[in-house]
Amino acid sequence: MQKDFKSDYAVSVHDLCKSFILSHGRPGTLKGLFMLLNKSGSEKVEALRNVRFNVAKGETLAITGKNGSGKSTLLGVLARVYKPTSGSISINGRLSTLLDLGAGFHPDLTGVENIYLNGAILGLSRRELKRCLDDIVDFAELHQFIDAPIRTYSNGMMMRLGFSIAIQTDPDIMLVDEVLAVGDEAFQQKCYAKVKEIQQKGKTIIFVSHDLEAVRRVATRAIWMEHGRIRMDGDVGNVLDAYISAYGSPGELSNAG
Amino acid sequence: MLNELKETIRYRELLVNLVVRDIKVRYKNSVMGFFWSLLNPLLQVAVITFAFKGIMRYNVPNYSAYLLCAFLPWTFFQMSVLDASSAVIYHANLVKKTYFPREILPISIVISNLIHFILALLVFFVYLLVLGTPILATWFLLPVVVCIQFLLNMGVAFFVASLNVFYEDIKYMATVLLNLLLFTLPIFYLIETVKGSSIPAAYRPLVLKLFYWNPLAYLITTYRKILLPPFNVAATSTSPAIHDIPLSYAYLGLAALTSLIIFIAGYAFFNSRKWKFAERL
Repeated sequence: MQKDFKSDYAVSVHDLCKSFILSHGRPGTLKGLFMLLNKSGSEKVEALRNVRFNVAKGETLAITGKNGSGKSTLLGVLARVYKPTSGSISINGRLSTLLDLGAGFHPDLTGVENIYLNGAILGLSRRELKRCLDDIVDFAELHQFIDAPIRTYSNGMMMRLGFSIAIQTDPDIMLVDEVLAVGDEAFQQKCYAKVKEIQQKGKTIIFVSHDLEAVRRVATRAIWMEHGRIRMDGDVGNVLDAYISAYGSPGELSNAG
Repeated sequence: MLNELKETIRYRELLVNLVVRDIKVRYKNSVMGFFWSLLNPLLQVAVITFAFKGIMRYNVPNYSAYLLCAFLPWTFFQMSVLDASSAVIYHANLVKKTYFPREILPISIVISNLIHFILALLVFFVYLLVLGTPILATWFLLPVVVCIQFLLNMGVAFFVASLNVFYEDIKYMATVLLNLLLFTLPIFYLIETVKGSSIPAAYRPLVLKLFYWNPLAYLITTYRKILLPPFNVAATSTSPAIHDIPLSYAYLGLAALTSLIIFIAGYAFFNSRKWKFAERL
């Protein structure tokens, strides 16, 4: 299916629906399961309803919306973490997810060991990682600490390392959940510069964010999600203006987090 | 299933990385890393040997070797199942955020336990040299038996790993069941001793059949049969005679078949559920 997908689209989403079965007394235990047999307290939540859009190669798309609007579910389906209930997605190129805070880090392993581990999770081979190891360490500014166990790192150091690995992996399509820039002001500037560089290389970025400032700064196009549907899709300026006039000032929104 | 296998092979680098991580973390924090983890079964075997031989006057020659020979594969099974039960939950962060074949998590657990088991077996062979037991031609069968046990462990690990995502008490249930298994399997005793036991004579064939049909019980017995010499012990005033029962290739074949079925069933079960994990964690 992906082979004859010869258009300029990096991602193509067709009538995507995703529903979750949400049981009120979640049977997280066997006891819970037996108790649930007595009542029919499960509810179907339609997180995505007939979502349809294309992302052109080289486009930077921001997906925004209030909590529970379905934007994270959408990102999850794109990342192939959830299977769609119906509809389909076509992905044209290598896709990688920017893991926040290095979700795959192990505290007892050193920085280098964690780079290999995290890189493997992102689907990179050892050879590819060897090649960009120096770039990752350079970008994270962790030269003298890279052979120390991660548990000795500060939170900021860990975030920098996680971000550097993801950003150096050089995928065709990058999925980003909330974090586009981490660390102190200077490092954030570096992150934005790197994002710009990736954009100039013609790579596709799809990111979900509450941070309207970041959206305006980076994205070229925005999708506004509401109740699992696309409410508005278009130029980032227009969508954000409509979004703000519907929900109020950006300050309140970024606190909704 | 073939496609899923291919996808797993495509992600073998991740598998290797996870196994290397497990081994490194297990052996890293101390200079004696490996020996610490071996100390537990060795101490247990020493204490049990003392209890059975010294106090209960169990008159099997080199009893500690027969005990260790069953205890090491048992530990391999037990740790594979226990570690697998929390494999997916432990990686909840990854499962919720990224795509990778989910089966890599339990597979990496069982492989790192396999490596640990092989290291422990090497120590066991050194112990055999010290005891001076004969070198047997059947030692060559060891890799085959280890492979069969790997399939069995993997199958059970698949079941436990996927079920524990949905029902978190599976882990506690597994702990209880494993404790019961430890005593119902021929680990502390030999299948030969059933004959002289206090079990009513009418039930003895049934108990033996259960040992033959249970793949884990027969695999454990097979380790003993192929690695250690047979023995016959004459009756004494305190204990009945023990007559060697030779290895049955038919029952070993049955154990291999059952293990394969459990492996396939476990893999299919895991695959049918693995894309629901992210929704439940």
